[in-house]
Amino acid sequence: MRREAGVVVALGRRALSVQFRRAQLLMPTFVLPLMLLAVIASGTSAAQDLRGFPDVGSYLAFVVPGTLIQGALLAGLTSGIAFAGDIEFGFFDRLLAAPVRRSSLILGRQAGTIGLSLLQSVFFLGVAALAGAHFEGSPLALLAAVGLAAITAVGLGGVASAIAIRTGSLSLLQSIFPFMFVLLFTAPAFFPRDLLAPALHDVAAYNPLTYVVEAVRGLLTGDASAGGAGAGLAAAVGMAVAATALATFALRERLRTL
Amino acid sequence: MSAVALALWRRSLNEVLRVRGALLPATVAPVVFMLGISGQFGELTGLRGFPTDSYLSWIVPLSCLQGAGFAGAATGSNLARDIEQGWFDRLLVAPVPRPLLLVGPILGGITRSLVPATVVLVVGLAIGAELPGGVPGLIALYVACIGFCAIAGLWGVFMALMFRTQQAGPLMQQGVFLAVFLSTAYTPEVLLRGWLADVAEYNPVTYVLQLARQATVEGIEPSWAHTWPGLLALAGMGAALLALALWALRRLGR
Repeated sequence: MRREAGVVVALGRRALSVQFRRAQLLMPTFVLPLMLLAVIASGTSAAQDLRGFPDVGSYLAFVVPGTLIQGALLAGLTSGIAFAGDIEFGFFDRLLAAPVRRSSLILGRQAGTIGLSLLQSVFFLGVAALAGAHFEGSPLALLAAVGLAAITAVGLGGVASAIAIRTGSLSLLQSIFPFMFVLLFTAPAFFPRDLLAPALHDVAAYNPLTYVVEAVRGLLTGDASAGGAGAGLAAAVGMAVAATALATFALRERLRTL
Repeated sequence: MSAVALALWRRSLNEVLRVRGALLPATVAPVVFMLGISGQFGELTGLRGFPTDSYLSWIVPLSCLQGAGFAGAATGSNLARDIEQGWFDRLLVAPVPRPLLLVGPILGGITRSLVPATVVLVVGLAIGAELPGGVPGLIALYVACIGFCAIAGLWGVFMALMFRTQQAGPLMQQGVFLAVFLSTAYTPEVLLRGWLADVAEYNPVTYVLQLARQATVEGIEPSWAHTWPGLLALAGMGAALLALALWALRRLGR
């Protein structure tokens, strides 16, 4: 058990260090969400004048949860892309020959995703605070929000890893970016759920990211009515467990058909 | 000489025919973005000063430009691949003027860009976007898309010639992304607040968007007053980026 934990940590560390060595992979995960945050915060802040828009002290703080979840989505996706790269370039075959549990190979990748998401979320919150966002939530609540984003990244990373394992195609993983964004846009990431378009409002109720993003908003703004932490945690953990199981199952299937 | 440009144009189009799904991400991403953004921010049309009551109509031209821009930026990624794999070196020793080597790929990008721009427009109209500008508006929209694709293509080519690696791909894409979103992407100028209002006023893409929006936005009717700023912006950006691309091309191999 201890040895397997060591394997998971080592693979997680490797996943992170590879990520930081490839600046072209880091650019989208760290810069893109911030760019979108800056544009949305400034471009749509007039929305506060709309009837039905909740009374928020800081509009920037209101839209930051969308950025955190976008970061989690990109962290998960980059993890899947890196996984597909390992498969395509043969590194994963060498790992398969090692005397370790197969599930540790998945969990190691997921550990790297957690690390990346934690760094991202802290970076995003730091930049937002410097830009004037005022978070009413307690320090513990901010930590919980960062943790929630990391668990969400594990869920999305699990889905991306499962696709990587099933297909082994780097180019396919690079092109699923827009499809993953469907999840973000069908959740109240940047706008209150009650003000979404009617069709989107109905779809949002079935999207687990809705509950995560509302929980993160509730934690950051210190306003429990914005979203329940319990529902967010349940949705994030549910996604993480289901997606990790999916990736492990995909690996088992791949080995069976080798 | 034009045969060289035509041959390279045909070669860049072959990629679409030979690589299955090559156009899929560039087409699907703007559609997803259009649906997502219009669903999220649709209520913004309720604000005083918004020129239309259909947010989808406001966003369709933006997504068309985005799709055309990404198709243009892909020209840079393809050139970077050709440089990395040595194919472009072989072209450089051919007895043709070097600028002609760029004409074909840029034309290829423009041709490819018509697919995402048209798909976005058709999907937008199918789900409720309006077309008050009629045929003149549509012509303005396509001129804006083709012009913006050429601009994005020149930007991508400049990046490719400077960095000579496919790893510069994100820079090419994000350059387009930034140019589009630091404009009146989500709301008209009167509703922008803070730094973005100043940036959007000086961003030439704001005027290209105005050119494109003549097709679908009720409050921006087709007129010369809404057209010339966009054409001037396209010409200015095109001249600057063409000069940079030609300068980078001259440096290649020195």
